[in-house]
Amino acid sequence: MATAASPMAQVRKQGLSRAALARRVGSLAIYALLSVGALGMMMPFLYSFSTSLKRNVFAFEFPPQLIPLHPTLQNYVEAWTSNNFQLYFWNSLIVATLTMLLSLVVASTQAYAFARLRFPGKNAVFMLYLITMMIPSTVMILPQFVLARTFGLLNSLPALVVVYVAGGIPFQTFMLRGFFESLPRELEESAYIDGANRFVIFSRIALPLAKPALGTLAIFSFLGAWDEFTWALTVINDVGKRTLPIAIRLFQGQHATQWGLVFAASMIAIVPVMVVFVAFQKYFVRGIAAGAVKG
Amino acid sequence: MQSFGKGFVCPQLAKTVALGATALLLLAFFMAPAAAAAKVTLTFWHTYNTQSPEEKVLLEEVIPAFEKEHPDIRIQAQGIPYPDFHQKLITSVAGGIVPDVVRMDIIWTPEFARMGALVQVDRLPGFEAIAKGAFPGPLATCAWQGHYYGVPLDTNTQVILYNKKLFREAGIQEPPKTFAEFAEVARKLTKKDASGKTVQWGFALPGPWAWYFLPWVWSNGGAITDAKITRATGYLNGPRTVEALDFLINLYKEGVLAPTIAQSGLDSWTGLGQGKYAMTQDGPWAFPSLKAQYPNLEIGSFLFPAGAGGKSRSVVGGENLVIFKGSKHPKEAWEFARFMLSMKAQMEMATTGQMPVLKAAIQEPYMQNHPYYGIYLEQLKTALPRTPHPAWAKMEDTMQQAFQAAVAGKVSVKAAMDSAAEEIDGLLR
Amino acid sequence: MSVDGVATHAHPSAPGFPAGRRPGPWHPSRQERQEALAALAFLLPGLIWFLLWTAYPLLKSFWMSFFHWQILGGSTFAGLAHYARAFADPVIRTALENTLLYAVLSVPGQILFGFLVAALLDSITKGKVFFRVLYYIPVISSWVVVSLIFMYLFHSEGLMNYVLVDLTHFLPRHVPWLSQRGTALLVIALLGTWKGIGWSMLLFLAALQGIPSEVVEAASTDGAGGWQIATRVKLPLLRPMLMFQVVMLTIGAFQAFIQFYIMTGGGPMNQTQVFLTYMYKQAFDFYDFGYASAISFLLAAVILAISVVQMRFFRQDYEY
Repeated sequence: MATAASPMAQVRKQGLSRAALARRVGSLAIYALLSVGALGMMMPFLYSFSTSLKRNVFAFEFPPQLIPLHPTLQNYVEAWTSNNFQLYFWNSLIVATLTMLLSLVVASTQAYAFARLRFPGKNAVFMLYLITMMIPSTVMILPQFVLARTFGLLNSLPALVVVYVAGGIPFQTFMLRGFFESLPRELEESAYIDGANRFVIFSRIALPLAKPALGTLAIFSFLGAWDEFTWALTVINDVGKRTLPIAIRLFQGQHATQWGLVFAASMIAIVPVMVVFVAFQKYFVRGIAAGAVKG
Repeated sequence: MQSFGKGFVCPQLAKTVALGATALLLLAFFMAPAAAAAKVTLTFWHTYNTQSPEEKVLLEEVIPAFEKEHPDIRIQAQGIPYPDFHQKLITSVAGGIVPDVVRMDIIWTPEFARMGALVQVDRLPGFEAIAKGAFPGPLATCAWQGHYYGVPLDTNTQVILYNKKLFREAGIQEPPKTFAEFAEVARKLTKKDASGKTVQWGFALPGPWAWYFLPWVWSNGGAITDAKITRATGYLNGPRTVEALDFLINLYKEGVLAPTIAQSGLDSWTGLGQGKYAMTQDGPWAFPSLKAQYPNLEIGSFLFPAGAGGKSRSVVGGENLVIFKGSKHPKEAWEFARFMLSMKAQMEMATTGQMPVLKAAIQEPYMQNHPYYGIYLEQLKTALPRTPHPAWAKMEDTMQQAFQAAVAGKVSVKAAMDSAAEEIDGLLR
Repeated sequence: MSVDGVATHAHPSAPGFPAGRRPGPWHPSRQERQEALAALAFLLPGLIWFLLWTAYPLLKSFWMSFFHWQILGGSTFAGLAHYARAFADPVIRTALENTLLYAVLSVPGQILFGFLVAALLDSITKGKVFFRVLYYIPVISSWVVVSLIFMYLFHSEGLMNYVLVDLTHFLPRHVPWLSQRGTALLVIALLGTWKGIGWSMLLFLAALQGIPSEVVEAASTDGAGGWQIATRVKLPLLRPMLMFQVVMLTIGAFQAFIQFYIMTGGGPMNQTQVFLTYMYKQAFDFYDFGYASAISFLLAAVILAISVVQMRFFRQDYEY
C-alpha cells in the first residue's frame, strides 16, 4: 500500500480514513442506540408473543422462558375458533373502515371551510370544537345511548360508526385545517378567478395536495375505531355484532386470566392495524407535521 | 393504499367512496331488524365466560331443548364479561332497551327491583310450584318488600379447598375445625427456603373482597348489620367481626397467609395448582377448571372452621333469573324461566358446576354420587346471604376499602371498621 | 382561551380569496354571502353530526350534573350539591394528585425520548422506515391490549420481578407493583411513556425534516458545530411543535382511563383512582349519574385551565 505514495500523500490518506472511521463509528453508534431502544420498545410484545405460544400453566413458570420450551399454537387455534371471534374480527374491520372513510369526507370538508372560507361565527364554532376536545367522552355515554335508541340504532354497527366519526370531528378538523392553511393558495385563487366553483377547487386542487394529511387522518380514525372499548361494550348486545376489544376482554376471566389465550387474541388483533399503518406510513410524517403545527 | 391515495384524488372516485360508505351504512342499518323477524326472540344475558363448560352446555344442550319444546320461541343468549355486566345493565335500564331475561348475581336483585326495573313474578302461573320446590335460602334472595322479582337459578357457596399431597407431607390427618386448629395447620403448611424466602403458604384468601372474608366473620359469630338491616355500628365494628378480621390479618403478617389478601402474588388457583398454596377457599366452579389445568392436583375440601363465638358458616352465592319490565314478551320470558327451573335443565347445568336449587334435584343419584357437591350442600345448610339491600354495592365497597386499609397496616381493624360502620349507617338511613 | 399558539391564528393574507373582512356587524356583500353559503354547504354535514352526537350529549350531561339523576325518572334538582360534594370528597383529591402525577411522570419522558429517537433517526439514511415503524407500534396498539401486557409483565410473579429480584438481585424481594399506590402509578406512567414515545418521535421527526436545509447550511458555513446547530438553530424552530405536544399530551394524560381501569381499577382503597375511573365507578357501580357528570366537568375545567396556562407560558417564551 505504501509502495508508490509520497509521505505527504500517505499522511493525507491516513487522515482521511481516520475521519471516515470516525464517521463510521459515529453512525454505528447511532444504529446501536436505535437498535437497543427498538428492542426495549418491542420487548413487551416479544414476551407476550412468547406467552401466547405457551400452555396456560406455563404463564408464570420459573424461571420465565423467553423462548417457550414446549411451544404450541393451541391458544391461537382456540382464540380464533372460539365462538364468534372471527365474526368480531370482521365486525371490527367493517366498523373501522367505515369510520375511516366517513371521517375523511366529513373532516376534510369541514377543515376546508375553516381554512379557506369566510363566514360568520367561524371562530365560535372552531372554539367549540377545541373545547370539546378537553371533555372526556365517557361522560357522554348515557345521553348518546338514549340518542342511539331514539334513532333505532341500538345494538347495531352503525351506532358505533356514527359515534366514532362524531368523536373524531374536532381533532381531525383541527389537524386538517392546519394542513390546508399550510398549502399555497395561488393555485386555488387562479382557479377561482377562472370561474371554477368551490367544490371543484376543493376536490380537484386542495384534496390531492392534502394526501399526506388525509393518509394520517385515515390511520388515526381507523385506529381509534379499531381499539374503542367502552362505547362498543355499552351499545352492542348481540353476540354477533361485537367488536374485538370486547372479545379480548372476555378471555380475561373472572377468576383467573388465561394469559396465553388473551395474548394470542391480542396478537391477532394487532395485525390489521399494522397493515394499515405500514401502508399509510409514508404520508404520515408529512401529514402529521403540517397539520399539527403549521410552522 | 397506493390505489386509495390516488383514488381519492379524483372526484368521481371520492364520490363513489362516499356513496358506497353511505350505502353500506344504510344496508347494515336495515339489515339489523330484518334478521329477527318471524318468531318471538328472547334475549337472555348471562356472565358465563366464553369457552367455558357452562356456556357450552347452555348453548348446545339446554337452549336447543327449550326451543324444541317451544318452536315459536328463539333464545338469543349473550355472554357479557362479569366485571362490565353491572354497567351494561344500568345503561340498558336507563336507555329503556333491556334484555328479556337475565341471569344475575343474587345480590343485585333488590337493587334492580327497587329501581322498578323487574317484573314481579309471584302471581304468574307456576310460581307457586317453583317456590315450593326450591330451597328457601336461594328463593329468599328474589324477594324485595314482600314480593318476588325473580326465581333462583343456581346456588353455591364456598368451602376450604386444599392440596391433599401437601397435607400428607405435613402429616396432617384431620381437617381443622376451629380457628385455632386452622391457624396451627396453616403454620405447619408454611415453608421457607434456606434464604428465608417463603416458598409455600398455608392458606390463600383469594382477595380482599367481602365475598371472601365474610365467611370468616360469620364463622366467628360476627355480622355486618342487625337483623333488620338498620345499622352497622355495633355489628361491623363489633368484637366478633373485628376478631375474625384480625385473625386473618395477623396470619398474613406472620407470613402464613399468601399475599393474595393484598392483591398480589399468584392468583389462588394458580398457587394451589402449582403447590405454592396449601389451602384456599372457593366455590364449586373451581373444581372443573382446576382439574382441567392441573390434572395431577389432588383437591380436598372441608367446611369453614368455626371461631370461638360461632359455628362454621359460609356465604350464599348464586344467580337468579329475572325478567325485565321493558320486555316485549314477558309471557314467553316466563316460559323460559320455568323451563330453566325444570329438573331437566337444572340437572344439565349441574354437570358444569352449577348447583341446582330444587330440593328434588338433590335426591338424584347424580348429585348423591357427585365428587364435590356433597361438601357444598353440607356448607349451604349454615351459609348466610349477603345483606339484601339496594345499597349493597356501596356497603360492600365501604367494607372492602376498610379491610384493605387494615391489611395494608395503615389503620387497625377496629378503627377501619368503626368508620366503615358509621358510613354504612348513613347508607341504611 | 387563547388558542392562537396552536394553529388558529388568522392568515396574514386574507382568508377567502378577496380582501379580509372588516370588523363590526356583518353586512355581507353579495360575494361574501355567496362565500358564506358555500361554507355552509361544506360545513353542514359535519356540523350537524357533531352537534347531534357530541355537543348535545355534552350539554345533556352538563344538565344532569345539577340533578339527583334517577335513571327511571323522578330526578330532583340538586343545584350545585354535586360540585360541593366533589370539593369535599377526599377521593377527588387523590384522583387529582394521581392524575397530576401521571401527567408529570409520563409527559416529559415521552417528549424527551421521542425527541432523542427523532434526532437519531434524522441523522441516518438507511433503515429509517424500519425503525420508525418499530417505535410506532406501541402507539397503534390498543390500550386494552397494552394494559394487559404490562399487567402481565409487572405481575408480582412476572418477568419484571424475576429480572429485578431473582436474576440481578437489584431488589430484595418481589414487588407487588400494581397493588400499592406508588409503584402502581409508576408502572402505569411507564406504560404511558412507552406507548407515547413513538407519537412524539414522529412529530419531532416531521418537524426536523421540515427545517429548510438552507438554514442549517448557513449556520454551518458561519462555523457552527453540530451541537450548536442542534441547540441554537434547530431547537428554537421546534418550539411550536414542543408546545403542541406538551398541550396535547397533558390533555391526554388527564383523560387517562382504560389503563387505570384495567390495571388497578382504582384500587386498592381508591388510592389509584384518577378522575375518569372514579367517575365511571360513580356512574356505573353506584348509578349516581349526577355526581359522575359533575366530576367530568370539573376535570374539563382543570384541563382547560392547565392548557391555557401552558399556552401562555410557551407563547411568552416563544416571543422573547
